[in-house]
Amino acid sequence: MPLLLHDLPPLHWAIAGAGIAAITLLLLFIANTRLGISSGFEDICSLVLEQPYFRRGAVLSGRTWRLPFLVGLFLGGVLSAVLGGGWHPTWALGMFDQTVGWGPAGKLLWMFTGGLFIGFGTRLAGGCTSGHGVFGLANLELSSLVTTVSFMAGGIATTQLLYNVVLR
Amino acid sequence: MKDSLRWTILFIVLGTLFGFVLSRSGAADYNYIQAMFLFDSFQLYGIIGTAVVLTSAGIWLIKRRGRTALGRPVAIELKPLHRGSVAGGVLFGIGWSIAGMCPGPIVVNIGEGKLYAVAALAGALLGAGAFGVLYQRLQGLFALPRLNSPR
Repeated sequence: MPLLLHDLPPLHWAIAGAGIAAITLLLLFIANTRLGISSGFEDICSLVLEQPYFRRGAVLSGRTWRLPFLVGLFLGGVLSAVLGGGWHPTWALGMFDQTVGWGPAGKLLWMFTGGLFIGFGTRLAGGCTSGHGVFGLANLELSSLVTTVSFMAGGIATTQLLYNVVLR
Repeated sequence: MKDSLRWTILFIVLGTLFGFVLSRSGAADYNYIQAMFLFDSFQLYGIIGTAVVLTSAGIWLIKRRGRTALGRPVAIELKPLHRGSVAGGVLFGIGWSIAGMCPGPIVVNIGEGKLYAVAALAGALLGAGAFGVLYQRLQGLFALPRLNSPR
């Protein structure tokens, strides 16, 4: 299956997995930091919100690396598009277009809703696919195993419900 | 060059590489995320599985060495287990399915030019902000750690 991005063929999963592991280990070995991306969302919030939650040491010290890392993620996406056939803004959403078929306004609402779940859920669980699913599992942490099983279950149930029940 | 600037550039470079891999792997692709949850594609399971196994071996080696490249003692903050681990995980999973992207890929997809990802970021920031503002009220319900403890 080609990617939505310029119909490019995806990297082999073993290469992509090795790349993610290499960067995760470089972060630990060079900077003594554990990979974690969703914490970056609260780092951004901490730039404007003053509640005690956003004044924790873990936020104030972690954001010095996570905020530049987030900038890098954005640039990585730009670079990937430019090298893969050019940077073009798009609304294309693959199987969502073929089934639900909503236009831009509907997609914005859909994505905003998904984002709310992601932002609140990852903070409640203390991490996402990177901090729990990759680093935490690799570090044999029980909370990461519980969280990873929970988010895989939530995702599987929701997608199965949408594509195999509602849109059937 | 100032030391803090050098670090910032390093994190931007590592983030760029990470973002490029996410972009080209399918991890930032709506169809691949749905195919994972529908058990139609092995791609994402292969990626996460490979990353976990190799990272685990690397963490073991780095811990055995005991020191980072700069000679500092290796310090890994562990994540606590509480009722929010399950509830938050399930909520995040629902969001991952709806948006077809987890936190890193939200930012990557904005970089790629996928316009709808901006709305996912707005929702995620609002969700994270609401959690922080409501933290003290959620603390008892989910048995969350006290704010000054590492999490």
